[in-house]
Amino acid sequence: MDDLGSVVARRPPGYEPAGTSAAVQAEALVKHYGGRTSVIEAVRGVDLTVEAGEVFGFLGPNGAGKSTTMRMLTTLLSITSGTARVAGVDVAGDPDAVRRRIGVALQEAGLDPRQTGRELLVLQGRLFDLSAAEAAARAEELLALVELEEAADRCIKGYSGGMKRRLDLASALVHRPEVLFLDEPTTGLDPASRLTIWDEVRRINKRGTTVFLTTQYLEEADQLCDRLAIIDGGLIVREGTPAGLKSELRERRGLASDPTLDDVFLDATGRTRDRAAGDVQEVAP
Amino acid sequence: MRQTWVLGQRALREAARTPEALLPTLFIPLFFLVVNVGQAGKIFPAAHTSFLHGQGYGAFQLPSSLLLAGSFGTAALFLVEDIEGGYFDKLRASPVPRTAIVLGRLIAESVKGLVIATGLVVLALVFGISIASGPAGFVILIALTALWSVVFVGFMQLIALKTRSAAATQSAGLVFFPLLFLTPNFVPRHMLTRPMEIAATLNPVTYVMEAVRSLILQDFVWTSILRGFGVVAVLGAVMIALNVRLIQRYD
Ligand SMILES: Nc1ncnc2c1ncn2[C@@H]1O[C@H](COP(=O)(O)OP(=O)(O)OP(=O)(O)O)[C@@H](O)[C@H]1O
Ligand SMILES: [Mg+2]
Repeated sequence: MDDLGSVVARRPPGYEPAGTSAAVQAEALVKHYGGRTSVIEAVRGVDLTVEAGEVFGFLGPNGAGKSTTMRMLTTLLSITSGTARVAGVDVAGDPDAVRRRIGVALQEAGLDPRQTGRELLVLQGRLFDLSAAEAAARAEELLALVELEEAADRCIKGYSGGMKRRLDLASALVHRPEVLFLDEPTTGLDPASRLTIWDEVRRINKRGTTVFLTTQYLEEADQLCDRLAIIDGGLIVREGTPAGLKSELRERRGLASDPTLDDVFLDATGRTRDRAAGDVQEVAP
Repeated sequence: MRQTWVLGQRALREAARTPEALLPTLFIPLFFLVVNVGQAGKIFPAAHTSFLHGQGYGAFQLPSSLLLAGSFGTAALFLVEDIEGGYFDKLRASPVPRTAIVLGRLIAESVKGLVIATGLVVLALVFGISIASGPAGFVILIALTALWSVVFVGFMQLIALKTRSAAATQSAGLVFFPLLFLTPNFVPRHMLTRPMEIAATLNPVTYVMEAVRSLILQDFVWTSILRGFGVVAVLGAVMIALNVRLIQRYD
């Protein structure tokens, strides 16, 4: 389990994995954050495949390496070793081509407080090579989609947390990405806003966009995700469909009825309910 | 290039929406102009001071104030805010050339520099300072000042990208103060003491200051002007190259 020798082995440059049709394909992905004196091994050899059209959930306790993995997949962070292909393109080899195909909403909503919501969306469109008129039309469309028409011409500084999240989601959609990365899209949202985001994610997915999301809410993963992976300490410890993971645990434990995804999570991360209390939050169904 | 300009416009909107960050860059240089002239003006009466070429001491001091106005580097602090707020990552995750992300801000800074320098010089004109090289000289000296502000903010952005800290970036800005005083800012270079003269000769700011000054006090002294633009061009190129390098390696 802790033998890293095999997973961090470097692959030759130009290595092409067999199937390149997957939306996300990571092999032996490793990230070390380095100071001179100490190195933090945040991700220690992650293999992932997300098929096109899926909603894929990425779960794990705080500090497990979810954001780090996502930042590598979205070209924001250099890859220490291993390879990643997103939308069929090698992330390290051609980051700009990846950027054109993905939408990104990070854990900290990345917004500019001094612009209005509309300005931000128009600017985003312009950065993705839309003309001024196209960008304006697309902004209008997205503002309606995330129900921010009324606040559109106010400075983002005055938006509530939920409005910011929704705007951030809209800005990730400007260029109709093939793969959408959402890092904890519903953290800090009230139940109604959370449901809005869920609906939105489903709708986006129905139109063919692959969604890769991280979440701390197991209920969310259960509701939304076709498949999920659980990462702990920088390594994937479970992978499968929500139903598959539950029945696997049931069979292994010999339980009478299906366990919840919480049980799967706690089993996978070796945490007890008591220890996990601070790490994992649940959404009331 | 289009993306650079789109990002430049955004940086200008940002500046226009925070006038409280912009106003000190106008008032503090004015303050120094008034104070310096008040302190040393009597020593250098226009009639008996050959290096003033017939103008008051304020005309001699104006370049220092212009350079000071171009050395606030506020834009770099906005960059830190972008980094801290996550918007910088949003930009990095879009297929924008990395150069556009830094150049956009630098272009905005040059526009701001033009506006502030014009404001200061117009105020100076109101108070009786004249530009010996005429309207064309006015344009050249404003342009040179604006380019200096680009060099300076380029330097500040390096600190911002490296440290990602507002406090560190702010204090790096103070580096300029010694440089401003290691120049012939009170008297011409040949009147400085020997060690000061050596220091001033080594200090690139000196040549920018002398170029601006020659445009105000004399006519077109091309050697001074070209030296000033040369310094700004070389430093500007270095700053842009380093900025691009840093943003490309940003992790
Ligand atoms: N910039 C950084 N420098 C050094 N270490 C970092 C950095 N970012 C993250 N880490 C470390 O890497 C590990 C993984 O962090 P990461 O942010 O990926 O976790 P996460 O799964 O997203 O957690 P959370 O649920 O709290 O968001 C943690 O131990 C964290 O302290
Ligand atoms: Mg995270």
